[in-house]
Amino acid sequence: MADWDAYYRNEDDEVEQEEGEESAGFGRDSLVFLVDASKEMFVKGEDGEPSNFDMTMQCVRSVYTSKIISSDKDLVALVFYGTEQSKNPRNSFKHVYVYHDLDSPGARRVQDIDSLRGEKGAQLAAETMGSGETSLGDALWCCSNLYSDIKLRLSHKRLMIFTCRDDPHGGDGTQDRQARTKAADLKETGVVIDLMHLNKPGGFDVSLFFCDVVSPPEDDSELGLQLEPCGKLEDLQKRVRAKEMKKRAQSRLTFSMGEGMNIAVGLYVLARTATKPPAVRLYRETNEPVRTKTRLFHTQNGSLLLPSDTKRAQVYGNKQIVMEKDEVDEIKKFDDPGLVLMGFKPMDRLKLHHHIRPTLFVYPEEDQVTGSSCVFTALLQKCSEKNVFALCKYTPRRNSPPRFVALVPQREVLDGQAQAVPPGFHAIFLPYADDIRTLDVHECPTASDEQVQKMKEIVHKLRFKYRSDAFENPVLQQHYRNLEALALDMLAPEAIEDFTMPKVQMMDERLGPLVQEFKDLVYPADYNPEGKTAVKRKPVIVSDKPKVEISEDELRTHMQKGTLGKLTVPVLKDACKQFGVRTTGTKKQELIDALIAQLST
Amino acid sequence: MDVGFSMSNSVPGQEAPFERAKKVIQKFIQRQVFAENKDELALVLFGTDETKNPLAQDGQYQNICVHRHLMLPDFELLEEIENQLQPGSQHADWLDALVVCMDLLQKETMGKKYERLNIALLTDLNTPTCADQLDVIITNLKKAGITLQFFLTLHNFLPFPVDADEGADRGGDAASPRHPPHGGKGLSREQKQGLEMVKQVMTALDEEDGLDEVYTFSEAVEKLSIFKRIERRPMAWPCQLTIGSSLSIRIVGYKAVCEEKLKKTWAVVDAESHQKDDVKRETVYCLSDDNETEVQKDDTIQGFRYGSDIVPFSKVDQDQMKYKSDGKSFAVLGFAKQELINRHQFMGNQVVKVFAPREDEHAGVALSALIHALDSLKMVAIVRYAYDRRSNPQVGAAFPCIKEKYECLLYVQLPYMEDLRQFIFPSLENNKKFAPSEAQLSAVDSLINSMMLVEEGEDGKKEDIFKVNHISNPQFQRIFQCLHHRGVNPGAPLPPVDPWLKRILDRPEAVLAQSLHEEPNAKKLKLAEEDKFNLAEISEGNVTSVGSVNPAKDFRTLIQHKTIPYDQACEQLTHRMEQLLGNRSTDYYMKTITCIQAFREQSVKVSNAEVFNSYMQSLKKSVPDRSLQEFWDLLVQDALTLISKDEVESSTVSKQEADQFLMSEEKEEEAVIPIQDDAGDVDDLVSVIYGVKTVSLISGILLRHLYCAFCDLIFVIFFLHSWT
Repeated sequence: MADWDAYYRNEDDEVEQEEGEESAGFGRDSLVFLVDASKEMFVKGEDGEPSNFDMTMQCVRSVYTSKIISSDKDLVALVFYGTEQSKNPRNSFKHVYVYHDLDSPGARRVQDIDSLRGEKGAQLAAETMGSGETSLGDALWCCSNLYSDIKLRLSHKRLMIFTCRDDPHGGDGTQDRQARTKAADLKETGVVIDLMHLNKPGGFDVSLFFCDVVSPPEDDSELGLQLEPCGKLEDLQKRVRAKEMKKRAQSRLTFSMGEGMNIAVGLYVLARTATKPPAVRLYRETNEPVRTKTRLFHTQNGSLLLPSDTKRAQVYGNKQIVMEKDEVDEIKKFDDPGLVLMGFKPMDRLKLHHHIRPTLFVYPEEDQVTGSSCVFTALLQKCSEKNVFALCKYTPRRNSPPRFVALVPQREVLDGQAQAVPPGFHAIFLPYADDIRTLDVHECPTASDEQVQKMKEIVHKLRFKYRSDAFENPVLQQHYRNLEALALDMLAPEAIEDFTMPKVQMMDERLGPLVQEFKDLVYPADYNPEGKTAVKRKPVIVSDKPKVEISEDELRTHMQKGTLGKLTVPVLKDACKQFGVRTTGTKKQELIDALIAQLST
Repeated sequence: MDVGFSMSNSVPGQEAPFERAKKVIQKFIQRQVFAENKDELALVLFGTDETKNPLAQDGQYQNICVHRHLMLPDFELLEEIENQLQPGSQHADWLDALVVCMDLLQKETMGKKYERLNIALLTDLNTPTCADQLDVIITNLKKAGITLQFFLTLHNFLPFPVDADEGADRGGDAASPRHPPHGGKGLSREQKQGLEMVKQVMTALDEEDGLDEVYTFSEAVEKLSIFKRIERRPMAWPCQLTIGSSLSIRIVGYKAVCEEKLKKTWAVVDAESHQKDDVKRETVYCLSDDNETEVQKDDTIQGFRYGSDIVPFSKVDQDQMKYKSDGKSFAVLGFAKQELINRHQFMGNQVVKVFAPREDEHAGVALSALIHALDSLKMVAIVRYAYDRRSNPQVGAAFPCIKEKYECLLYVQLPYMEDLRQFIFPSLENNKKFAPSEAQLSAVDSLINSMMLVEEGEDGKKEDIFKVNHISNPQFQRIFQCLHHRGVNPGAPLPPVDPWLKRILDRPEAVLAQSLHEEPNAKKLKLAEEDKFNLAEISEGNVTSVGSVNPAKDFRTLIQHKTIPYDQACEQLTHRMEQLLGNRSTDYYMKTITCIQAFREQSVKVSNAEVFNSYMQSLKKSVPDRSLQEFWDLLVQDALTLISKDEVESSTVSKQEADQFLMSEEKEEEAVIPIQDDAGDVDDLVSVIYGVKTVSLISGILLRHLYCAFCDLIFVIFFLHSWT
């Protein structure tokens, strides 16, 4: 019956659905943290800096929690090597401690990691695992067993080694060789091995040993190995995060620059509003998830309606117009999927306020069409030099109407040796005429120079360096903290810090007398800007309004489809009256809630 | 609408004015129906055989019919017009008709609230008109506040000089340039007199722009073809902008840009009865066991995934524990440099314009101070934005926006940390493999120059010739077109996309014009043609044999997908080539050349030289007999010779033999043109195009042709590059 669900889920959804990324059906991503647990890892940094071990644990934790939020199907494992104690599936390896098997991370695991952090964490680690001899070969072998024990299909396999020792076996050639062989075996089976090398007094020399263990960089330009060791948590997290998420194109399309001049590009989502995942329904008795099935029945004879037994209809100008489902889809078709170049415009033609959706990132797909990267690079370079953007018509899928996008060139920027900004085009969605609303502009007096000057001082006092990753979403954070608390039977969820709230006190202190000075300049003494907006509403002539009524059936259909919100407030009010629903509220949501409460009993 | 006698007179090759007027009316009503606004509409016909209007007395106001009184337009009216509206055999004074309309408006709007009264008059002005009371009529029009629009059919000429850019500006699609003024040739005496009166009336109503409301029919059809854009009344969002605890400024926000959706969605109806009520939707819950045991909704509770855990979390608990916001807010968190805000990191799906309340001058001054301060410091305010208590708070940027007529803040949502993905992409420019050559860069340079969508206007100002924000969402246009069609012709299949709609979505024709390149060296350019790989084609890949439409492409696909054995594919291809060569025309020769290219290239790929070489040898032998010399010359130019040992080891042909294969024979042409020469030509061509700046409008076909050639040309450069 799964097909039924898929069939009915979005049928009234005129809105283009966000496209799933190409991961579906291709197995799961997996990531193994292989962490050095030798004594050196526990040495505290100068000035109370956390130890390498502590830093690694924080990093692992943040990966765990971000996986929980963004990709809860991915598998993650945590393995320590160089331990005194051993713990692994068949206990066949000494000095290898599998702390977490390959599995999707949950609340318990996050808690486990938390217990390994800080002073106490180091103590706990010493008690449970201790530091002992090192055999990276055994550790890698153990990891390869972890992978092979997984029955699921794995799409992307990655192993990250966290260590501050560049010569783990102290020059033992046999051990070194064994480790290299095991690493080669792993790479053979498609595992990508990364080195997250940490600060070592005297410098970490990758060429001593690790250069033969890790996977070669994915492309010639990636400078991977030459990187300096991570001394700061922030750098480490950044490096881990960049590797940890496999980038996937949302779609791959033809970019047509003229008749016959086609290259292949991938479209990537670099920013998308993260939302709470939808709730799952659980069976009360067992807490197991239940599936929902939606079916259509004939009201008269109760027979099951197949998709072919239904049509689609809309009413306009007192007439019902009926179409087949296929026709409804067909109407949306204009062109084949792809990007079509329309021309170029100077960058200043791109208006700041022409924004309707988050952008996509465009990068060539050399695998699909050879030569794409070269043409793309030439275009990128020239657009950037000439300060123009490319205007394109974008058809994401079959049966989707076109949108126009501005392809804004972005050339690569390196931060030291790491990539700070990737090369490619940002596809900025442009509004159609319908998307721009006509506003009655408010003509207001202009401030005097003195007033502006005072405000400049205020602005100056409250300057800060904006960073796009500086704000956490408090709603999401709270939601996950709540879940965490419930999952772990905590008394109360951990408090979140709400970065969206203004630091009022600090602002007031910084501004000092400026606020009063500004107010004296712009507001008369008796003016109260906090006062309620005195809107003089014209009395509404009720008799003039046409009676709007809605049948119970219509109302129920709306309710079932969750489209009550489409009705206007007067209609909803009337409906409330009609069905004897008493409401105190006048807000739309309140009316809807009241109606639902009444009708679902 | 004039349905009188003269309206059915048509100029040969043109539709009768009556038919065209009917179309205008239909489009007009159709727009109203789909816009679903509350605009009411009446239809008055004049020149009808019968008389049906309240003013008809004593032989006055004859042959004028109120076909429909003022009411909401609907499909019934559309059907009536489609099926019942007939041309009359009489004629009536259009001024009389105007008076009937005024009377109707006056009487039928009594007790109704309205914003605007408008009369649209469609006529050819070909009736004698009595100008007696013209000034009284004008006075009354003014008094009642009625606006007028004229739609005239005068063999398509608009007799008033109008600014050239006017039409483009109003039509929005830039597709209806005004016609040049016309001396009035070919107009009847009545028409000349009528025009004078139209002019008089319109300028009396609006001295400045009155004549702008006079349209020709074709202009009107074009303009009305575009369904009304969706208009929504902006909802004011009053709030306070706060800076710290004690500075607040009263503001009002309006959604200014937002992706508009159609108001209506499709209802599921029973296929037989077309009744919505016959379909009932039922949702059931079942366990994931083998029997798919159904459970009652009441026996289920809500839960959420937390990684591998599923946490039961009731709605009540959720509401209790969820993040609580204090209600609406527009609180400044701090100020940041504009350059730190990345355009590509704009989130959400709207832009909000923030003004001071209309009646609050002090708030206006305070906000103005902020806007100007931000503007001169090139900074933005980073604010916490919450629409109301129930909605999630956002962090966003408020940009200063200073226009001639107003000032405001533009608010856009910015990302949260959780929204961002830090992907690393392989370097492009620092990668030698992908580095474009100088020739390629200059080709792209020229491409950009030739495809600029801004043109220098007469006043030296750059004009945008493709404004997306003037295009009406094609999805809406299309769905209305289909709904209208289905509504009027329930049984007929859906119509294709309107040509005008297709056109406005296409590349504008006036990208660059010059007549020089009518015959670009197509033959040479074709060299690269078959290297065009199209993703869609590759992914579709359901080709099973070499067809006649695009044999080369089919052949490639077949070989690449190994759909059929190599020999079999070759056989099919050569069969097609023989068919093509039988036609003996350059076009077919070109097509054959592409086949040979594909044949050769794929043969090299699969390392099989024999089949290709033997075919070529036999082909060469047959040239004189089949008088295919012209074809052979093309082959020579493209240097399509035998596959040599150097390319495929198993080949029995040496490099020298291969080179000589084309040269020999009677004609001692310069035979194989060295590739460098090709590139040279291409470069010249490019620089010529680049050098020419004349912007003269020539036919679109020519432009298109030129444009295609140009793209091919750039492709050649890339192709050559990867070749050498």
